Amino acid sequence: MLVFCAVIVYPLISAIYLSLFSIYTPTLEGEWVGFSNYRELLGKGEFWSSLWTNIIWTVGTLTLQIVFGVGMALVLHQNMIFRSLARSLILFPYFVSTVVAVLVWRWLFNDLYGILNHLVVLSGFSDMPIDWLGSMPNALLSVILVGAWKYFPFVVIATLARLQTIPEHLYEAAKIDGAGPVARFFDVTLPQLRDVLVVIIMLRAIWDFKEFDLIFLLTGGGPVTSTQTLPLLVYKEAFALNRMGMASAYAVVMMAIMLVFMILYIRRTREAADP
Amino acid sequence: MKPLRRILFNLMAWALVLAVAFPLFWMVVTSLKPAFELFRRPPTIWPETVTFEHYWRLLSETPFLQYFQNSLILATTTTAVVVAIGTLGAYSLVRFRYHGRESLAFMVLFTYLLPSVVLIIPLYLLMVQLGLSNTIFSLVIAYTTFALPYALWLLRSFMTGVPEDLESAALVDGATRIGAFFDVILPQLLPGIISTALFTFILSWNEYLYALVLVNADSARPLTTGVMTMLISAFNIEWSLLMAASVMMSLPLIIAFAFLQSYLTRGFGAGAVKG
Repeated sequence: MLVFCAVIVYPLISAIYLSLFSIYTPTLEGEWVGFSNYRELLGKGEFWSSLWTNIIWTVGTLTLQIVFGVGMALVLHQNMIFRSLARSLILFPYFVSTVVAVLVWRWLFNDLYGILNHLVVLSGFSDMPIDWLGSMPNALLSVILVGAWKYFPFVVIATLARLQTIPEHLYEAAKIDGAGPVARFFDVTLPQLRDVLVVIIMLRAIWDFKEFDLIFLLTGGGPVTSTQTLPLLVYKEAFALNRMGMASAYAVVMMAIMLVFMILYIRRTREAADP
Repeated sequence: MKPLRRILFNLMAWALVLAVAFPLFWMVVTSLKPAFELFRRPPTIWPETVTFEHYWRLLSETPFLQYFQNSLILATTTTAVVVAIGTLGAYSLVRFRYHGRESLAFMVLFTYLLPSVVLIIPLYLLMVQLGLSNTIFSLVIAYTTFALPYALWLLRSFMTGVPEDLESAALVDGATRIGAFFDVILPQLLPGIISTALFTFILSWNEYLYALVLVNADSARPLTTGVMTMLISAFNIEWSLLMAASVMMSLPLIIAFAFLQSYLTRGFGAGAVKG
C-alpha cells in the first residue's frame, strides 16, 4: 500500500503544486507565479477550442461505439457458423497496440495508394481521392471512426456477457403476447441491458475523453489544431512549448472536468457493491 | 429460423465481421507484397508474389530486434512486479478488516480512471531528478503506476470469489496464515492471476505516451515508440516494412489469443478493462 501511495498520490499532489509555477522544461527551473497560469488558460481561445474538440470527439466516437457494439453483440449472440472465430476477430482491434492500429489506418487512408481512396473512386462516390487526415472536417471524422473501430469490441464483450444472462422465458412471454422481433428488442432486451449500458457508457466516456495515443499518432492534433483535444494540449505545452507549469495547469483543469464523471461512476459501482 | 433466412443471416453477419477485421487482413497482405506490386492500381487483394524480404530487412537492417527485446524485458518485469504486489494487496483488501478499507478500494478505482497526461509531468520530473530517464527501469516504474491500480481492482474481484471457509479450514488444521495463503488461496486464484498477468502484459506491451516522454535512446526504446521513430525518420515511408513491423509486434497478442482466450474474456467479466 505504501508503494501504491508513492507511485500515485505523490505525482497527483505535485501536479497540482507544479501548476502554480512557471517552469522551463529543459532546465526545470521555475518560479512561483500563483494562479496566473489558470488566469491565462481560461482567457485563451485554445483551451476552449480544445475542450470543444474533446467533447465532439468523445460524444462522436462513444455514440458509434455503443451503436456498433450493441448491434454486433446482438449478431454474435445468435447462432452463426464459426461463432468463436468471429468473436476473436471482433475482439482483436481492442487488444492490438494503438501504434499498430494507427499505422494500418494511415496506410488505408493513404491519399495515393490507400485502398479506401481506391474504393471511393471506384464506387463513383467522388472523382478525386479524399484527403482523409489533412483537412477538416475529414480529419476529425476519420479520428472518430478509427476510435470507434478500435474500442467498440469493449462494448461488444460487455454487452454479450449480459445478453447471455437474460432469461429465455421473458422472450417467450413477449412472443405469446404477439411482439415482433423489433418490439422484443425494445421491450425485453433494452431494459435488461440498461444497467450494464450505463456502466459501459460512463467508463468509455472517461477513457475516450482522456485518449491521447490514437489522436496524437493519427493526426498529431492537426491540421493546425483542429483535432487537438485537451490531452494533446497538455503534451504540447509540456514537451513542445516547454512550459511545464502551464501544462500542469491544463492537466489539473482537465482532471477537474473528468472528476464529475469519475465520481458518478465510482458512486454507482459502490451502490452495486453494497446494496 | 428457416434455412434461407439462416443462410442470409450468416452471410450478413460474416460480412460485418470481415469488414471489421479487414484492416488487420490488409496489414498482413501488405507486409507480404513486393514493392512493385504495392503501388499497382487497382491494388491486388491477394499478393501475386508472396515475399518475406520485408521481414528479413526488418530483422537485419533496422533496430527492430533491439526494440523487441526491450519491450519483452519491460513487459515481463512490469507484469511480475505488478502481479506480485497486486496479489498481496488484493489479499489485504479482501481478507483483513481495517479502518478505511472500503475507501482505499475506491481510491484504487479512482486512480485507475485518472488520465495519464496528468501523471506524466510529475513522473518525468521525478525520473530526471533520480537520474533514471532513458532507462528501461524508469518505464517499469511508470507502468507500475497505471497497471497496479488496475491489477488490484481485477484481483480484488477474483479474490472475493474464493470462499473464506477454505482458508479458515486450513487455519484450523494448523496451517499458518502464510502457509494457508500459498497452499489454499493461490491455487484457487490461479485463473485470476493468469488473466491479470495477461492484461498487464498487454497494457505494458502497447503503452506509448510514457515511453515517448521518458525514453529517448534506442538502447531502451520499446517497440511502440521505436516503430514510430522508424516511420518518422525514414526518407520515404516504406509501408511494407512498417506493416511487417506491425505484424511482428502483434505476434505475442496473436499467441495469447490462440491459447489463452478464455482468460482474456474472464478478465472482462471480472472488472472492466482499461482502454
